[in-house]
Amino acid sequence: MGGKRIGRLVLAATAAWGLAASAARAGEITFWTWRQEDKAAYTELFNDFTKANPDIHVKFEAFAPENYATIVSAALAGGRGGDVLHVRAYGGLEQFAKAGYLMPLDPQTVPELANLPDDAKAAETLRADGKVYAVSFASQTLGLLINKDVFAKAGVQPPETWDQLLSVSRTLKDKGIIPIANGTATAWMDEVFTGIFTGPFLGTAFVQDILAGRATFEDPRYVAALGRLLELRDFLPPGYTGIDYATGQQLFLSGRAAMFAGGSFEIANFRKQNPKLALDFIAPPAPKAGEPRYVSKFYDGGYAVNAKAANKADATRLVRWMGTKEYGDKFSALLGNISPIKGVVIQDPLLAQVAKLNDVSMPYIMAVHFRYESPTGSELLQGAVQRMLAGNLTPQQVGAEVTQGIARYYVPFQKK
Amino acid sequence: MVERGERAKHGLIQLLLAINAVVMLYPLVVMVLSAFKSNAELFASPFALPESFAFTNAARVWNETSFVRYLLNSTLVTAAAIAGILVFGTMAAYAIARYPFPGRSAVFLFFLSGLMVPLKLAIIPLFIQLGAMGLIDTRAGLVLVYIAMGLPSAVFIMTGFLRTLPGELEESARIEGASEARVMLSIMLPLARPALVITGIQNAVPIWNDFFFPLVFITTDALKTLPQGLTVFMGEYNTDWGVLFAGLTLAALPITLVYIVLSRQFIAGMTQGAIK
Amino acid sequence: MTAARRRAVWIAFLLAPALVVMTLFVAWPLLAAFRYAFYGFNGLAAAQFVGLQNFREVLTEAPFAAWTWRAFQHNVIVFTVLMVAQNGLAYLIAFALLKTLPGHRVHQVIVFLPVVLSAVIVGFLWKLFLHPLFGLVNQALLLVGIHGPPWLGDESTALGSIIFTNAWHWMGFPALIFLAGMQRISRETLEAARIDGATDRVLMTRIIWPLVAPSTTIVVILTFIGSFNWFELPYVMAGLSGSPGGATDVLGLYFYRTAFGNVSSGLQDFGHGSALAVLMFVFIAVVSALALRVLRRREIEA
Repeated sequence: MGGKRIGRLVLAATAAWGLAASAARAGEITFWTWRQEDKAAYTELFNDFTKANPDIHVKFEAFAPENYATIVSAALAGGRGGDVLHVRAYGGLEQFAKAGYLMPLDPQTVPELANLPDDAKAAETLRADGKVYAVSFASQTLGLLINKDVFAKAGVQPPETWDQLLSVSRTLKDKGIIPIANGTATAWMDEVFTGIFTGPFLGTAFVQDILAGRATFEDPRYVAALGRLLELRDFLPPGYTGIDYATGQQLFLSGRAAMFAGGSFEIANFRKQNPKLALDFIAPPAPKAGEPRYVSKFYDGGYAVNAKAANKADATRLVRWMGTKEYGDKFSALLGNISPIKGVVIQDPLLAQVAKLNDVSMPYIMAVHFRYESPTGSELLQGAVQRMLAGNLTPQQVGAEVTQGIARYYVPFQKK
Repeated sequence: MVERGERAKHGLIQLLLAINAVVMLYPLVVMVLSAFKSNAELFASPFALPESFAFTNAARVWNETSFVRYLLNSTLVTAAAIAGILVFGTMAAYAIARYPFPGRSAVFLFFLSGLMVPLKLAIIPLFIQLGAMGLIDTRAGLVLVYIAMGLPSAVFIMTGFLRTLPGELEESARIEGASEARVMLSIMLPLARPALVITGIQNAVPIWNDFFFPLVFITTDALKTLPQGLTVFMGEYNTDWGVLFAGLTLAALPITLVYIVLSRQFIAGMTQGAIK
Repeated sequence: MTAARRRAVWIAFLLAPALVVMTLFVAWPLLAAFRYAFYGFNGLAAAQFVGLQNFREVLTEAPFAAWTWRAFQHNVIVFTVLMVAQNGLAYLIAFALLKTLPGHRVHQVIVFLPVVLSAVIVGFLWKLFLHPLFGLVNQALLLVGIHGPPWLGDESTALGSIIFTNAWHWMGFPALIFLAGMQRISRETLEAARIDGATDRVLMTRIIWPLVAPSTTIVVILTFIGSFNWFELPYVMAGLSGSPGGATDVLGLYFYRTAFGNVSSGLQDFGHGSALAVLMFVFIAVVSALALRVLRRREIEA
């Protein structure tokens, strides 16, 4: 049976394990993130930090993004994990902060918090105690990515109003170009798609009404805005219910499609995949000419200190540095993302243009306000819109489903 | 007449097997071709021959990960886990299958219950447990978890086969004065070789391909397993599928070879014919 | 030491290592996780004991109850179809391989090859084959004049497509178990049946089928447990939310995204997630224990 051989193998293996232990170097702190693709940029940033703080070295440890939350929660529950952690915002931050896993940052120990705008701080605040738990790293803007070459070749201009969007799409389609690259198979993209195109029809007034309890998602304004999405079905790729996020991206990148409804986070990603792409980023079309074209905006996440970090002083120094203008400038330049730090100068023209769009923005409503409890507004909306765009639900039904789900924990919806 | 009918039937069976072979193999061909493509090519013409057979993707796997190191870790972890599963699992299954003892069904159901819920659920208590034992970020911890995870199905499959072995051989050996250990090792287990192969393969494949547990337990680069190491190509907004295919195709090679070698156990069983 | 005593020590020796490892690394952590099902959570930290509230919510309160029920029904479909299609075909293939026709060695290797691949690869490959724009499946259908649906994007075909992929991936495994069972049937039995004029069909259904009952037990139980723990393939092909519109949502996905959160939409909710897992466990345990009794009795009758 080869029992002896197996025995010898086990022995050899046991010996090998003995070599496994690795002690952290003195003055070394670890940074945990889901941004594996940003390794080079962070390595450069951390080198700058070490130049200014020669006694601290930062080790970059990245994890598969889809499993990141699970990995971090297991590690934190076990009293381990990176010293400085990349965390999400809003509800995604709260569940870690509430459990006491993160160290609160106060303006005395982290004066750099003053460099951040209020809404960026709010995104990283635990509502229950009003304390900030992370230094926000980027804002994201949702809008329309445009392939300028494809538009030029088809002889059309990027749309500014809803009617123009429909007529431009019609022209593109007649020329054999897919007008909008998005499919509906990847659920979270359906929320992005909804946020982008319904935004200008809703505006900040609607968000205020929802938050004040004056309106629900069954409001005629919301239902009508959802109904608009149905008009776009003609201009999505053939078989769009089976087109996932990755396919949509590739259709746009290859020039087979003219527009991609997505986030500013795609800019760096798309440029890396196709450096020759003539990319533009515009606000979604206005309901009528002259009306505001709201983009949806949210904060991606922040840098937090692990409450169990072995060396909190060093970890805090790193997080403080990540709240400086110096860091924000270089972060934006290296990673093609918009740092929310005040006074940051964005060199890249396209990115600067996106930052300008933020002047007329509204919150990305479900992510910013309804991702704190289950069922989240996001999961309700994603599934319902996916079915609506497939023709299996009406806008009214979507509004009702979302409102009823949120009513479980949101009191103003309960009396309706 | 009988001859002709027989031949026609054999022809039909051959046809069935041939169709099956095409359906099974063609996707594998596409898999290998995909390993030579970029994302753009993969999504524009997934079934065409690649534009070039350059080893761009394989080179990226080579340059951006510690491929050899990961491969070694995966081999070590999988081999140790399978050895543990087969040895411990067979021992337990043999006791359950061949000896009546009080609480036998309870023990069997205890093992089987380990199959009934995904161990992922217990990732946090498991992490704390390994932490308390000093096994976080070690290959030993990973191996122990895999052994525990594999035991339920190993005990289940092995018990199923061992139960059905005829008792006469065992009895006559005992009468000749063989010890229990001797009966087990030299009489009964050789008869259960196909079952051992099935159990081994059934456990080796998921362990070899798993990246979830290493992602949670292992952070030191030098200890990472191959699938875990390859997740570096899965980005937040973009996954390098071509590179992933190159890596995972290479990763599938060793285990395929192991299977082909082991499948001889089966063929041996078939030609040697009946066990009475 | 008496013989009985020696026998007892020998049995204990055989059982001990497996029991210890199982207890430390499976049973204990699972019990600890099951405990979460009875707690309310403050973020990721267990806060107060809430009794059966989490169970009540996932079973009776909207929208969770509807999701639980939907996922459960899908699992039943998965099990039924896999039993008939995947395992039925596996039985036929095993029978064909048993005949040791020329080339059977090659076929035996081929039928098993997909089993060694990772679900990530298999899921992605079949997404390509079933793709609405360039998928080979629809291109082939077009040749005979059929416009195929966007398989994974259509609520009526999505689950079926993933089940098919699963069958492609795993069929070799039940085939091998059946084959191992068939090899154990004595040549004389088969020869005698042949001499009595049994056709292949009779051989397959009346002679071999009852004699491979132990293999069938293994296949049925493993398929049952596998179907109700189904996770990887639907995760790769349809995502954690069971796209489109929950048409591919199964208990494995539902429990996982409830407990650990879907990065792009949900939260980590260990209380409800663990409650779901406990329910899955109880259901699977009860049904498999009963099934095992029935199947074992069948083995003895044969």
